[in-house]
Formats: sequence, C-alpha cells, structure tokens
Amino acid sequence: MAILNSFTTACLKNIPGNALNKHLFFTLRAFYNSQSRSVLGISEERAISPPIGLERTTVKNLKEMPGPSALANFIEFFWRDGFSRIHEIQLEHSKKYGKIFKSRFGPQLVVSIADRDLVAQVLRSESAAPQRGNMDSWKEYRDLRGRSTGLISAEGEDWLRMRSVLRQLIMRPRDVAVFSDDVNAVVDDLIKRICVLRSQESDGATVLNVNDLYFNYAMEAVAAILYECRLGCLENEVPQETQEYISALHLMFSSFKTTMYAGAIPKWLRTIIPKPWEEFCLSWDGLFKFSLIHVNKRFEEIKTQLERGDEVKGGLLTHMLVTKQMSLEDIYANVTEMLLAGVDTTSFTLSWATYMLALHPHIQQQIFTEVTNTLGPEKVATANDVQHLPLIRGLVKETLRLFPVLPGNGRVTQDDLILGGYFIPKGTQLALCHYSTSLDDENFTEALDFRPDRWLRKDTSDHVDNFGSIPFGYGIRSCIGRRIAELEMHLLLTRLIQKFHIGLSPLTDEVKAKTHGLLCPGAPINLQFIDREIQT
Amino acid sequence: MSLLIALRRLAHVRLGELSRRTTAVTLSSGARLSGLRSFTVGTQALRSDKVTFHFINRDGEKITVKGSPGDTLLDIVINEDLDFDGFGACEGTLACSTCHLIFDEEVYKKLGRVTDEEMDMLDLAYGLTETSRLGCQICLTKSLEGMVARVPDSVTDIRQSKDESA
Ligand code: HEM
Ligand code: FES
Repeated sequence: MAILNSFTTACLKNIPGNALNKHLFFTLRAFYNSQSRSVLGISEERAISPPIGLERTTVKNLKEMPGPSALANFIEFFWRDGFSRIHEIQLEHSKKYGKIFKSRFGPQLVVSIADRDLVAQVLRSESAAPQRGNMDSWKEYRDLRGRSTGLISAEGEDWLRMRSVLRQLIMRPRDVAVFSDDVNAVVDDLIKRICVLRSQESDGATVLNVNDLYFNYAMEAVAAILYECRLGCLENEVPQETQEYISALHLMFSSFKTTMYAGAIPKWLRTIIPKPWEEFCLSWDGLFKFSLIHVNKRFEEIKTQLERGDEVKGGLLTHMLVTKQMSLEDIYANVTEMLLAGVDTTSFTLSWATYMLALHPHIQQQIFTEVTNTLGPEKVATANDVQHLPLIRGLVKETLRLFPVLPGNGRVTQDDLILGGYFIPKGTQLALCHYSTSLDDENFTEALDFRPDRWLRKDTSDHVDNFGSIPFGYGIRSCIGRRIAELEMHLLLTRLIQKFHIGLSPLTDEVKAKTHGLLCPGAPINLQFIDREIQT
Repeated sequence: MSLLIALRRLAHVRLGELSRRTTAVTLSSGARLSGLRSFTVGTQALRSDKVTFHFINRDGEKITVKGSPGDTLLDIVINEDLDFDGFGACEGTLACSTCHLIFDEEVYKKLGRVTDEEMDMLDLAYGLTETSRLGCQICLTKSLEGMVARVPDSVTDIRQSKDESA
C-alpha cells in the first residue's frame, strides 16, 4: 500500500500543468525576478509560462555559442592526432573560447563545460537515471552475442535496477572496508615482486615501467574482490592460464581504446572498413570469456556445496549468485565491465602517485613521518587506519587532481537546461572538462603545484568547495568502484612509503600525460625502491 | 521521466528494507551467507522505544515523525514517505550529498563523529553550513529525542536567489 501510494504521488507530481517541463520552468524562474516567490509558490506546477520576451533577450541559443569550427576541429583531431592530446586541447579551448563552448565531431555536437559551478549545476540537477553518452555500439555487441549490459553500458530502468543492487554492496565505505585483508594479501605479493624485480637490475633498486607492476596489482586486487579468487598475476612464475589472460587483457585494454571509436564509424562503412568493429567484438569476446570462466567456477562450487548440504560462505560474487537479485547474465556483464573500469584507472593513478613522490622527496618524507608516527615501522594498515593518515588521503586526491584518469566526462541532457546563459535543448551531449577545472588557479591556488597537504582540514567544519576536482564523478551515476579503488590505493601507498624510499631512476625522463582513452603516462616510469632502515 | 521517478521511489522502498538486511551481513570472505535471511535490525522495536524527531521542510513547515533507534535519518524520511524532492538520491551510499540536513549547534554536537568520506561529500553539498551533516550517516539514538533537522533549500531555489543577487 505504501508502495502504491508513493507510486501515485510520484506520478501525479509529474503531470505537467502545461507543455513546459518542470526543469526548464525552474531554471527560467531565475530570470523572473519581478515575481515574488509566494506568488510563484501558489501556481508552481501550473499556470505560469515564461515571459517570452525576457527569455529571448537574456537567454542565448546554441548558435551564438563560441567554439572551434568543424573543420578546425577535424584537422586538430584526425590530422594532428588530437585524440592523444584531448586533455591539452580541452585547456587550450577553454582559454580561447571561455567556460562554455561548442565543438563539432562530424554530425555530433558537443557542448563543453570548463567551469566548476556549471559542472556542479549539471550534476546537481540530474534525473533518476543519468546518461553519459551514446552506448549504441556497446549495446549492439551485447545484442549480437545475447549478452546483458552492465553498469557502464546500461541505460534507464535497466541501469537503475542493477545500480540499486550493486551500490548496496560495494559503495559504502564500511562495506568495502571488510576487504582490507584480501587487499593486504595482494599488497604483500606486490612488495615481494618489487624485491625480485629490483634484484634483477644492475643497481639492485630499479623497477622498470612500474605501471606494468601496478596493472598486475590492480587486476589481482579487483579479482580478489570480484571473483573471490587469486589469479597469480604477481607471482614469479605466473600460472600459464593466468599469463594468457594477462596478455589477452593487455591486448584488449590497448586495442580497446582504439576500437572505442568503432562506434563512431557508421554501420554502412563497416563493409568497407571492417577492422575496427571486428576488433571491438573480439575484445569484448575475450573480456566476457574471462569473466564467464571465473563466475561459472564459483557457481559450480556453490552448487556442489549446496548439494552436499554444506554451508555456503563467501564474498561479493557468492552474495550475488546466492541472492539472485540479478540474473546470471547481469552478473557476467557487470563483473566484466567492472574489471574493465577498475584496472587501468587504478594502475595509472598509482603510477602518477609514486612518480610524484619520487619527484618530491621532501613531501615523501613528510608522508613517511606521518605514516611511521601513526603505524610504526611494521604495522600493516587496514581501512580503519586510513582516517589517521590524512596525508595518504591527500596524496591520492592531489594525484587525481593533477592527473584525473578521466580528463573529461560526458552527460546527455535529459531536460532542457539553461547553462551559463545559453539554452541547451534536451538530448545535447555535454562534455564536463574535469582536467581544466582541476588545473584552474581560480579553483586551486598554484594549481600546477603538487601539494597533498592542500587537502588537510583544520577541523571538521573546515570545508572547501571542491567541485573543481571530482575524479570519481558526483552523484547517482558516479564511479561505483570508488571505495574499492581508494582502499587499494590507500593500503598500497601506505605500505610502499613505510617500506621504501622511492626515487627516480636515471632512466626516467620527464614523463608527460597523454590521453589514450584515459589519461595515462606518456612514457615508462622507472623508479628505485630503496629499503628504509627500520629504527628500533 | 515520471515513470523513472516512480521506479526510483519503488526501488527506494524496497531497498530501504534490503539495506537494513544486507548491511548486517559482513561480506568479507568467510562471512556466513546462511545467516542472510534471518537478519533484521531495528524493525521489531517496540512502540515505546521509538524516538520522536522533527524535520522542517523547505516551506518552513514542521513535520513530526517517530523512528527506531539505529535507523538513519534517511531511513526515516523513506519509511515515513516524507516528500523532500530529490532527497537521498544514492540511497545512503555516500555518493550524492542530497540528504543534506542542517542542525542547531547543540544538536549538531550530539550527532557523533563525521567520517572523512562524509566530509568529502559534504564539501559538495548545496548551501553548506557549519552545522551541516548528511542524513544518511546519522543514526537515531535516544539522545536525539525531540530534536529538529532542517532540510535546506533545493538546488533550484538556491540557484534562483544566487541569480537574483547577481
Ligand atoms: C582511480 C580509480 C578510478 C577512477 C579515477 C574512476 C573514475 C570513474 C569515473 C570518473 C566514472 C564516471 C562517473 C560519472 O559518469 O559520473 C567511473 C565510472 C565507473 N567506474 Fe570507476 N574509477 C576508478 C576505479 C574503478 C574501479 C576499481 C571499479 C570497479 C571495481 C570502477 C568501476 C566503475 C563503473 C562500473 C563505472 C560506471 C558506473 C555507472 O555508470 O553506474 N571504477 N569511474
Ligand atoms: S543519500 Fe547520497 S549521500 Fe546520503
């Protein structure tokens, strides 16, 4: 009954009194100064239509919005390989055209927003199921193979249904804190691996291309949580089976970024240029295969246990398989998409964080002091200790501010909106320029400096408006793996700083960021890991 | 559009119950799933155990409700079907800050520790004050008997006053 009630009130509330939709109405109200609020209050949902004349003079339309010409954009991206410099172009364009500008990519119009407050406005006025961008190619693959969509590719009610289940499992910090021991076991393996790798170098200290190492770490840690099993990515002798998966995944992750654009190539062109679409499908086949193997393995184990009348114990996957809140296909799709979203993102951030520590020995020493004062030389941190390590949290936040893995994000507007004085019709593709807002001096003093301590709070009422840096997004469609990623990064960085002095290898030149789907290191980062002397 | 909102509300109601069950179950490897179904928290509380709590909605009206100790303030808003537009969008999973509430100073002091994660989300709340908290992070206790929380203006209301002053 209560359910029915809320259902009807929700429906009633949304019957529009006139053709004007509610959102537009509220935004237009802003320009409606002469009316007193109480008058508006009475007839809120109904009679008032916007003062047409006023609207015309104050609100500009898309045609009036500045931005690069379609041709200039085409040359920039396809001729000058702008795709690898998307983050820089974002900065250039926002300097040149302002905080809101439009660009054309073929038939696709994109409105870019490089302003903290406008980004906040968009994300705060989101509806029940926000849409990031066009996912047709992802859906087409899934239809072709009879697979489900996962959180990244699902839309509308489908997305909401799965999100409602998954967020109750892996979004709350306290629900994720219980994975501390699992993650720490993977950290143990990573430390061992570092010791083996550096002993193979002539200086006995260097680990070449640390991102490979962190990739294996992130994959092992996500698998420990998602699949409830260890893959052996960090062992000296990686099991043959896992080795194949790792290479397949490497290939997939790298080809994936190029095939991402497969969706941009119109269907009729596929007969002439078939390769991108074929590779796109092959990548997904591999990703799904990997998940299927692990999910099915656990499923069989559970079945046997049940048949034998044993008690079924387990973690996330077991919970999903036993409670059946989602179908088996939904589970396959979601673990597949989470694995895809959870490995590169975390490993790039870890690469940048340790690179920054190596570049700033003074800051590294500060954090080392905090860690040893809090934990001593030996104690292994768990999620509960992180609250006493504000500089470790600051290190991750500052790294993601300077190197937001997703330098820009997307939203398709689901209502007409007025943004920065422009009328944006429903269905417009927006680009939220996180890279620009993160590096904007207006938002962060001396924004180019690496200063983890800028995130420290004097006390609990010390707040900053930090919409300028939201590396995991904000709101109901934000990163669902955020707390898992944070746990993995906090625990690993704490342990690395506790155990090693991290230095730059002479083999490393200045490393710049490049965009390859995500913002990633443009060259290998080689670091030295030198044991800290344990003071007793 | 309206269908989606309705669906969300539906999900809310169902998940209000669900979350109370699942949060009681530890999900670490080694957790006993067999205990899942038998677990309920706070729902069997006796009437006399209930705590009276007041909300002041965006129109300044006072709404008085009763809740069980252990329920979060967001649970109460959902259980009592209080109509605060857009409130609690992420269902208490610390992703949105739409469950923002403002307290009097004396009440604020009684609310207990703020976690780092809550503070980070509060940074992104609209119309933040020094005595702001997130409703999904506050559990009702006996000591909150008769206390008041104010639901701050919504995004759109604030946007209006900002534009007016500009
Ligand atoms: C440093 C690490 C990570 C960063 C910076 C990051 C960042 C992001 C961002 C910016 C989004 C888009 C949010 C939005 O549109 O508002 C996102 C979505 C997502 N992320 Fe992450 N992520 C990270 C790690 C992870 C991990 C470890 C997982 C999985 C366990 C994961 C799973 C997902 C999923 C499934 C989505 C889509 C959510 C949805 O559409 O409902 N991410 N991530
Ligand atoms: S409901 Fe989203 S943070 Fe409280």
